[in-house]
Amino acid sequence: MNLLILLHLFFLNSFSQKLESVNISFAVVFKNNPIVLHDSTYNLHDGNSIKFETLKFYISNIQLFQNEVAVYTEQNSFHLIDVSDASSQNVFLKLANGISFNKIKFNLGIDSTTNVGGAMGGDLDPTKGMYWTWQSGYINFKMEGICNTCTDSKKNFEFHLGGYQYPFNPLQKVELKTTANSFKIILDLNKFFAIVDLEKQKHIMSPCADAVILSQQLAKCFSIK
Amino acid sequence: MRKYAIVFLCFFLFAFVIKESLFTVPEYFPLPVYDFSKNPLTENKILLGRTLFYEPMLSKNNTISCESCHSPFSAFTHIDHTLSHGIHDSIGTRNSPTLMNLAWQKYFMWDGAVNNLDMQALAPISHPFEMGSSINEVVEKLNASEKYRKLFYNAYGDNTATGEKTLKAISQFMLTLVSANSKYDKVMRKESNFTEQEANGYLLFKNNCASCHTEPLFTNGNFENNGLPMDLLLKDIGRMKVTSNKNDSLKFKVPSLRNIEYSYPYMHDGRFKKLSEVLNHYTNGIQPSKTLATQLKHGIQLSSNEKVDIITFLLTLSDKEFVFNPKFQYPK
Repeated sequence: MNLLILLHLFFLNSFSQKLESVNISFAVVFKNNPIVLHDSTYNLHDGNSIKFETLKFYISNIQLFQNEVAVYTEQNSFHLIDVSDASSQNVFLKLANGISFNKIKFNLGIDSTTNVGGAMGGDLDPTKGMYWTWQSGYINFKMEGICNTCTDSKKNFEFHLGGYQYPFNPLQKVELKTTANSFKIILDLNKFFAIVDLEKQKHIMSPCADAVILSQQLAKCFSIK
Repeated sequence: MRKYAIVFLCFFLFAFVIKESLFTVPEYFPLPVYDFSKNPLTENKILLGRTLFYEPMLSKNNTISCESCHSPFSAFTHIDHTLSHGIHDSIGTRNSPTLMNLAWQKYFMWDGAVNNLDMQALAPISHPFEMGSSINEVVEKLNASEKYRKLFYNAYGDNTATGEKTLKAISQFMLTLVSANSKYDKVMRKESNFTEQEANGYLLFKNNCASCHTEPLFTNGNFENNGLPMDLLLKDIGRMKVTSNKNDSLKFKVPSLRNIEYSYPYMHDGRFKKLSEVLNHYTNGIQPSKTLATQLKHGIQLSSNEKVDIITFLLTLSDKEFVFNPKFQYPK
């Protein structure tokens, strides 16, 4: 019986503890311009110009750190950030009052355990269009668009970067410094296209070495504001 | 306190008994690979899955269901067709496999492209030669159907279909497709005896075939190159398509031999109609290559009488109760 009372007190205590909210908003930009799907044109370093039709990606396993000690780990931490859906770009963390942190870490993509874990719901539901059908595996990052200035006959580009199996696991860890309770995480695609030559490479639709290289580059395109 | 404990215990036992009747692991089987804790079986979910399995709405033009290529009477494959047939009379590139004892399977598809039973149905639903649809389209159709809203409500306590719920329900039905009542199983359970010829065939089988077609599932679950010459039209490289590893070239998943009598034709491209052709391949037809299964490096030596005995044994793997089980048929 004593144990029950103790448990009761424990739960009362944990519920009465005040929670603090950390608000993160994700923004995908090209240089300083926000990405607007379908309409806006963006000029690449090589003189080509492009439009975006689809742009969505997974952020997972969000953790806050204070001097390399994890002070907060989000449970069931899977977020599909979709440029066509404003509400998907905001992530709210609830942590106990008074926790201070100086770093955020997250993954770009979905870990291998989740990849083999069967059907999932929410942002991981296969109806989200981020799961390959012909071969199991999540697409971590999906970007589709048109390059009208490209010289070859097929103008559309498609980068479906994903998979989980060695040696083509493109999952990336991203670390950014922050102490604020409300901040913006920027993904600047200008840096991504700095290493892409659309004249040579427009389609990646399966796990491969290039998908890993491009994912590594994407991880370097994140910054905080 | 004690009273509560007893009630609690009874409830637990009751839940256990229910679960047992929905899915039982035969004593001489290994532990299942499928994680039931993530998708606990219930009668209503199995019924939903079974209804979905026979549902042509899963295809773009409402003509093809899972059953089109996986009929219960052939141990859930498509007999007579070498390659699978789909929407608009399209012809696929591989022979549709049997569906049984799937809870023990780690990889799905001939090349293991699918890593979890839940995700298997996505492939045929989306393939332009099979059902030509998408999980989004399917979920939309299910949500517009009064019948399915009711079935989803009964299964999940919520009448909205999602991709996850749809796929997990199909898994539930497929998990119940356990075949363990063949004569072989009855002999293993000491309820029956092999004839002399069957017993001899069993011995030959153990010496020549069982390292890949391992009992009691009659597959070791691995990918092997069994020395078939490549079909020059299909140019199917098998497992290498998934792994991009040249050591996997021409390797295909070792299929179970259970219900082999009902599931002709044989091989990933259905090139052999008869079991005798299959055995002749292993004795005379093996094509040497770098990735050939080590067990087949020197071929298999069998006399014609021995082949007949092996086939007699293979026929003891036929499970009539399985193929005619009313619980697996079209739900009325």
